[in-house]
Amino acid sequence: MNVETSYSGSTAVAVVDGRVDSANAKDFDEELSAIIDRGVSSLVVDCGGLNYISSAGLRVFLIAIRKTNEAGGGLALCAVPDHIREVLEVSGFVRLTKVFATADEAQASFSG
Amino acid sequence: MDVKLEMEVGLGRDEPRRAVERFERFANAHELPMGLVFKFQLALDELLTNVVSYAFDEDEPNPVITVGLRLTDAQLEAVLQDNGRPFNPLLDAPEPDLGLSAEDRRVGGLGIHLTKAFVHGLNYERVDGWNRLNLVQPL
Repeated sequence: MNVETSYSGSTAVAVVDGRVDSANAKDFDEELSAIIDRGVSSLVVDCGGLNYISSAGLRVFLIAIRKTNEAGGGLALCAVPDHIREVLEVSGFVRLTKVFATADEAQASFSG
Repeated sequence: MDVKLEMEVGLGRDEPRRAVERFERFANAHELPMGLVFKFQLALDELLTNVVSYAFDEDEPNPVITVGLRLTDAQLEAVLQDNGRPFNPLLDAPEPDLGLSAEDRRVGGLGIHLTKAFVHGLNYERVDGWNRLNLVQPL
């Protein structure tokens, strides 16, 4: 798992790739928390390179959703591969966070 | 076709991943469909993560976790066994309420929820001090 982040004011796009599971969910949580702690309230997670996520990774998304909601923004996902999308659907996460095709669309949703 | 793979799983944080990546190589070597491999892998991961995290006391003298895989023309099967405390994840795990807001949602039970959604046949039994979970996916 690797996270690369670009910042634009209180918005950030974090591109995550690889696997997120119980072995590294804590690291993923620390990565996203560090981004939010820099004053980011609207966070886009680009899942284009994410090839695996278990419930341990969903837990990290849930924490980030709560933190960004609390900060008056939110969390959005983009470029989600089909098999990851199915995990989001089955787990009800599509109700908790919006899913966009591209990072630009996700970012635009915050400025509206 | 009738091929088998047996493995032992330790109690480390990385052990479920090591096991499911071995399963993935086994499945890919036999050209199983990617979608099926992903779902079965996720189920194994969730169940093993539960066992590694909760089945044993810290001073458990001889914790054993095994995974047996069997692939035939008709189905993919896995048997997970551990000698930890009795726990039936199919009944004892809390059912998540997917209608709640992010603020009220709990993540407990989500792994089992995904497992039930992604694997066709799941069965639990307690046999001679062992938890035994059986996963069956028709091909």
